[in-house]
Amino acid sequence: MRSLAVALAIALMPPLAGALRGSPACEVPEELMQFDHKLPHLAEKLQTHEPVKIVAIGGASTTGLAAGSSDFAYPHRLQEILARWYPFSPITVVNRGVPRQTAQQMLDRFPTDVIPEDPVLVIWETGTTDAVRGVEVDDFAATLQSGIDELKAHGIDIILVDMQFSHSTMTIIDFERYLNALHRAGDVNDLDVFQRFELMRFWSEQNVFNFDGVAKEERASLAANVYDCIARKLAEAIRVALR
Amino acid sequence: MPAAQSRDLRLDFFRGLALIFIFVDHIPENFLSYFTIQAVQFYDAAEVFIFISGYTAALVYGRTLALQGPPYAVARILSRAWQLYIAHIFLFVIFTAEVSYTVTTFNNPMYYDEMRVGDFLDEPHIAIGKALLLQFQPTFFDILPLYIILLAIFPIVLLGLRLQPLIVLIPSFLLYTVVQFADLSVPAYPDGHVWYFNPLAWQFLFVAGAALGLERVRKDAWLRFSRDALPFAAILVAAGFLIKLSWTIHGVWEPFPGFFLKELWPINKNNLSPVRLVTFFAMLAVVAALVRNDAAFLRLSSARPLILCGQQSLEIFCLGILLSALGHFVLSEYNTDIALQIFVNLAGILVMCLTAKMIDWYKTMGRADRSRPSCLNR
Repeated sequence: MRSLAVALAIALMPPLAGALRGSPACEVPEELMQFDHKLPHLAEKLQTHEPVKIVAIGGASTTGLAAGSSDFAYPHRLQEILARWYPFSPITVVNRGVPRQTAQQMLDRFPTDVIPEDPVLVIWETGTTDAVRGVEVDDFAATLQSGIDELKAHGIDIILVDMQFSHSTMTIIDFERYLNALHRAGDVNDLDVFQRFELMRFWSEQNVFNFDGVAKEERASLAANVYDCIARKLAEAIRVALR
Repeated sequence: MPAAQSRDLRLDFFRGLALIFIFVDHIPENFLSYFTIQAVQFYDAAEVFIFISGYTAALVYGRTLALQGPPYAVARILSRAWQLYIAHIFLFVIFTAEVSYTVTTFNNPMYYDEMRVGDFLDEPHIAIGKALLLQFQPTFFDILPLYIILLAIFPIVLLGLRLQPLIVLIPSFLLYTVVQFADLSVPAYPDGHVWYFNPLAWQFLFVAGAALGLERVRKDAWLRFSRDALPFAAILVAAGFLIKLSWTIHGVWEPFPGFFLKELWPINKNNLSPVRLVTFFAMLAVVAALVRNDAAFLRLSSARPLILCGQQSLEIFCLGILLSALGHFVLSEYNTDIALQIFVNLAGILVMCLTAKMIDWYKTMGRADRSRPSCLNR
């Protein structure tokens, strides 16, 4: 569903070069960067210059293992960027990634890994393992809903992050249903969803990041570049939401 | 053949249409899926297919039962289930080949840790056994096991329905109801998986179809009920249409509101949510009342390909699943241009229709061949 809108937006876009600004490697069409919902709790902390704690919970791509170290993972990069943009509040982004977990397993970690940190914003990256394992898509949706309810009950702002795009597994993993469920969960709860899947698909189609024919040793640094772009786009998304 | 003349072409037509829709809907991110039934109704082609399959199974095997006796009728049903089972194993082999190919060409560390789709290749002795036991149902290949189970239990259903429809319908409905409240599901492989189409819930639709199909043979006036319920059914269909269409538009263009989205979503498919079931029955009543079985459009030559697809449903169903996997592969391997999408869809539909025509020709020739030496027996 959602992907058709994106496909149309990209197809109907004015010549690409014109739409691309700034650091060329990370740029994506504006249509992929629309964020309509506010992050009121985060905005308040930043306004009053109070310390800000953000928890990033997710899977392997949150841990950043593919880049060799969590210093290259998107949460760490995000912290560096936000610290530069909002110098008056000390900002910490806590990495709570555990590889190969379903949304339910992440939800089970909320009481130990997320809530005690007393975050003002939670970035929840999920769906990949659910799609790979073929978890019932309605169960996945219900899990998202309970997680969102729990975070909202604690007065925590939420950003959902969808799956990574992988060209080679597209034919055997049915991502679409899980993507739709995750986006709909964002929709019905008035949350912003960071469209990592479409962003990475765009980069893949534009050949921005190509892992084919790259020596094994260089793959980690290429992965670090991708995570860096993800962090930058996520930071921009947060800035848009704070506006 | 008198049986062919009295054949209700509506069944073939709508089942053929459902098969085409299943093919289209099984290709992920397919532009054409905006034009299938699931874009404007809460249910999708799976309900149409399972219902009509139950209905025609009762018609066909009910006749066999009446003319040739229970042992032969049971044997015919089970031989059909066996054919489906073979088709399931065939599709599993193709899926395994696809995964093996993907796993051996995988080189990207960013996904390697997360997307371990090939894990079952590490334990083939278990995976193959589970596939043989219908316990291993890869994504995209999960509707056949349901159909196999439904046919396997069909002899009991049919014999029971012949005796007294209610002794089958009531337990079947009770089981469906229990599933809606208790979290009953059938476990699958790998651990933690369940059957995507929960047979404990979906059996009711098949059994209901069979009951109606059989009642028809007996010239019972069950469908009069649907005529009385028509105004109510029409309102349900119209409401379902407006709500689901608004969701579809909302999915494409966010500023458009999705009516009752927060209240109704998600609508469970695994357990055949009552929202799906009730709106399906409403549509059924409306279509049964509006489309007579001598409707003129059923005789049009343009309706012929769909009718043929519906008549050869087993083969076309399996072919459709195979073609959508192939179509998905082509689209993700090359590009997802709308032009290529339309081409892949049309090519698949064409292959389905031509295959149906070929099978029809083959069977007709086979019948002609058999009837020649045996004309003395007439």
